[in-house]
Amino acid sequence: MRNRASNTLSKGKIRQSWSKYNLYNMQRFRSPPTTNRTFFQQKWSAKAASRAYHGEQVREGQWKRMFNHRIRSVIPMNASDLAADDGSLVSSGRGSGLDTGGKPAYQTRPIPYTNMTFAPLERRLDVAIFRALFASSARQARQFVIHGAVTVNGQKMKHPSYLLNPGDLFQVEPDRVLYATGYPKTPFERRMGRMGRRQAKAARLAEAEGGAPEAEAESKEAAKEDTKETKKEDTKETLQALLAQAKAVMSAGKETLAPQRKQELRGFQKAVRRVLSRSESSTVLADSLEAQFSQLTLLLKAKRAEKKPEKKDVKPRPEDAFATDKGDAELASAKEDTEAAASDKLSEAFAQATLGNDVDASELTDEEFETLRRALTQMRDNPLDNSKTYSTPWQPRQYMSAFAFIPRYLEVNQNICAAVYLRHPVARPGSAEVPTPFGESIATPAYGWYLRRRW
Amino acid sequence: MPPRIQTRTVSNTLLPYLTATSSSSSSLSSLPSLSPTSSQCISRQFSATAAPQAQTKLRRQMFEWLDGEGAVFKHHIPGQTNYVTSLKQRDNEGSDKARPFPNNQSFFSEPILSEELRNEVYNRVVEQKKSARVVSVELGIDMKRIAAVVRLVELEKRQRAQGKPLALPYARAVHEMVPITPLAEKGERQQYHEPINDLPAHPLTGSQIFYPVPESRSFNRVEAGRVFSGAPALEQSEAAEISHPSDLVEKIIEDPNSIGWVGKGANARQILQPADVRIPHPHMVALERDRLANPNEWRAVADLQSKRLERQDKIEKERRERIQARREKKLTVVSPEDSRFDYRIKDTIYTTETTGTDGRGSKAAGRRYGVPHRDRTRGEVKIPTRVEA
Repeated sequence: MRNRASNTLSKGKIRQSWSKYNLYNMQRFRSPPTTNRTFFQQKWSAKAASRAYHGEQVREGQWKRMFNHRIRSVIPMNASDLAADDGSLVSSGRGSGLDTGGKPAYQTRPIPYTNMTFAPLERRLDVAIFRALFASSARQARQFVIHGAVTVNGQKMKHPSYLLNPGDLFQVEPDRVLYATGYPKTPFERRMGRMGRRQAKAARLAEAEGGAPEAEAESKEAAKEDTKETKKEDTKETLQALLAQAKAVMSAGKETLAPQRKQELRGFQKAVRRVLSRSESSTVLADSLEAQFSQLTLLLKAKRAEKKPEKKDVKPRPEDAFATDKGDAELASAKEDTEAAASDKLSEAFAQATLGNDVDASELTDEEFETLRRALTQMRDNPLDNSKTYSTPWQPRQYMSAFAFIPRYLEVNQNICAAVYLRHPVARPGSAEVPTPFGESIATPAYGWYLRRRW
Repeated sequence: MPPRIQTRTVSNTLLPYLTATSSSSSSLSSLPSLSPTSSQCISRQFSATAAPQAQTKLRRQMFEWLDGEGAVFKHHIPGQTNYVTSLKQRDNEGSDKARPFPNNQSFFSEPILSEELRNEVYNRVVEQKKSARVVSVELGIDMKRIAAVVRLVELEKRQRAQGKPLALPYARAVHEMVPITPLAEKGERQQYHEPINDLPAHPLTGSQIFYPVPESRSFNRVEAGRVFSGAPALEQSEAAEISHPSDLVEKIIEDPNSIGWVGKGANARQILQPADVRIPHPHMVALERDRLANPNEWRAVADLQSKRLERQDKIEKERRERIQARREKKLTVVSPEDSRFDYRIKDTIYTTETTGTDGRGSKAAGRRYGVPHRDRTRGEVKIPTRVEA
């Protein structure tokens, strides 16, 4: 289907989209004039304006079949009112002069029925995805469905026009959602991503050719050199530097520029990698956050200030060239001990027995620990990764907040990008659940247009 | 004779060479062949019309707005909504609810459940094993939403365990942009998320009816429902049994078939019940009535309410089990060992309801001569109408 949903400024139509053109059109939109225009003309222009927003991807005939003049509405009931009166209060004494003025016993605001004209379209899968804030426009939501990124009740659904039933759970791939709602990549990031892909491909080819062992050996050697170098560094100093970086990462607010923030993040990531690469187990970088954190603290010999006498870390002697392997093995076993929360005494005894020397441990306050942990958490949850289709670390795209609302008939879990269509949208006194940018002056003539029997 | 454009363009094509050789622009303008108006043609050598501006007026205005007033919408402030209506201060004075659309006075950005509240709902339903009805009243959340939250949190837990990708930064950003119902602190009263006793407006109540009632008789909601659905008025003795419309609730929960019917055949429909029966939490009306009757015995009232809820839950559960058992009795499930599939076998019911009077009904089992397959009929919608959970 050709996309006719452009955001032109000359026409000034409002679309289901988060674009800045649309935002501008929305804020300058005025209802078409009614003076000196026939009722037909008024209805026509109202219909044209509202259909540009509501289901422009749906053919007119299709929509006319969906339209229903009966509009769902609810009245919120008060249990104590119901208990106090069985209804006879309203009906009693009308004829015997008990009528008190013109005021009804229960006063309610009017129900905006005609704002619900396009309620049947909200059932569509593509519109519901847009309403759940999983896509930046209804067109994009439609594309996600067609490209197979959406499931309904756990099954792949490829029809954007699927009408959701109350209780249906739909889910979009999180990567698509992050792409749709995130900042677009800069040319630099795109280039970095390209380079990364190229390198990965080269590595794959090399592996396929059988040069894998050599490469592995090389990398191992490099890693060994690296470890040798890093071991010479003072662990205390590394820890202090890491902590400073973590603090910078966590404190970076709105005022810091994006490139600067990225540099900080990249630096922190590198530092953490470097420290973790000293570990013997190769899975540390892919491990859980808790494992990483414990490993990091272990390697840096960080301690909580108040628990000084309890914990003792094992330190291999780097001077002993031939004993390094053995020492690392011991270190790994010690790590396992700590991770499994085995008795400290055992590891202490183990350390005393094998090495005998006391370790000078850097002390960290609880706050510092917390900062480090939070920085690590952020690095895990929102990493810098050029292989993604959006700018990393992820941040919401511009002008998203002006369009961000979630209607009541949906229950959304943003973590897994899933939502449940609870019920059909309803009108209630004073409010209508169908999100529409048009007021009563457009909604009513548009409803009137579709009420007409024209066949 | 007007000056010829042709000759001018030719001279213009030479301009680079002329400027390259000539020392200054003053010498250029002094050339006899160039009129002062042609200086603007230097940039566009092949066009006689004046060069258009780089941007249209509308575009320029848009960027002016985006850089000026609209600059606030570029980024959000955590914990605040950021809608276009904030530009017009006078509109915001009326209500404290945020409106995203400046022209629509009747659409509001409603709060969503916070992460903690969501987990609390899950905790109460799954770990504390409270019924959705009770949790709904405690937290002021619709029962359907309670069910959805439990389902979604369960799914999230499963996905976390499987190590599937999550959109955590996105979730945080959305929760910063949209109003939120927080979980109450310990000892504080939980803020209600939404109205939980919504009465759906029944289509029958849409019509205006002139119905004369003797003044000597009280005309309550039960009788109004009968009038709307066209049922005859209750007998005096029957009406006297119902002291309050909420008395019907117990009766209907125990025996749903006690609701009468009006009309015949395809037009048969149940008599419209009073609001006390049709709201999602009818037991709340009963509780209020107990409170009105015994204003000082709050403990006894609470006991009565918990007993009532227990009894109603028990009846509901029994009915559900009965229906399930009946369904299973009709169905034979065959699951071969080496097959990926289960076969559900039902007996064919061959009656006029299923096959129609001529034996060709669309719901009848098997192929019938002269009845095209549903795929072949005109106007048949091919996309699925429901997905089994």
